[in-house]
Amino acid sequence: MKNTIKVERARHNLTQQDLAEKVQVSRQTINSIEAGKYVPSTVLALKIAKVFEIALEEIFELEEGD
Amino acid sequence: MENDSILKVPLLARGWRFVAIALFPLPAILVIGLAFARTGIDPNEAAQVIYGFWAIAFGILNLTKEKEEDEMIQRFRLQAFQTGFYWLIWGLAALMLINYVRYDRLTSEIFTAYLVLFLLNLYIYAAFQLQLYKSRKEN
Repeated sequence: MKNTIKVERARHNLTQQDLAEKVQVSRQTINSIEAGKYVPSTVLALKIAKVFEIALEEIFELEEGD
Repeated sequence: MENDSILKVPLLARGWRFVAIALFPLPAILVIGLAFARTGIDPNEAAQVIYGFWAIAFGILNLTKEKEEDEMIQRFRLQAFQTGFYWLIWGLAALMLINYVRYDRLTSEIFTAYLVLFLLNLYIYAAFQLQLYKSRKEN
């Protein structure tokens, strides 16, 4: 699954640590999601979308094979 | 969302890691001590004592909280238990096969509950640490 978290973070001027604190996970988890190594749960994905105030599907996109 | 409390496994505080670490050299000291005390401990029995202590030590490490316990860590933990069990089954099958080829029988005295529990906990620990390492490796 692709995501635009890195882009959204830059737009909102947030570091990985800032975003991690806002959604109550570790910086490592945000880093893994951005790198596509970890697919977040629905709850965490919704929390991330809420921080950026955009729809979930604008951040996460299914890829071929998902 | 609420989790079913009966299925929830409470994790140990981080201080328990030190107890686990202390349990690694302890059986060796114990076995050497028993040998010096001339208790006539059987070498196989000594191995079981060591496997037993190490199984408990790895069990404690597997059930101890990480510094930051979030959903990714919980997913890794579940995956590690599944992977550990998978490796154990293949390992045991391989041992049984080797035993059959060499001695014409599937079972062996080395297959004890202590050994199996030690291997299971070791594999779980290894699978968990591998996932942590992979996630911590920067892009």
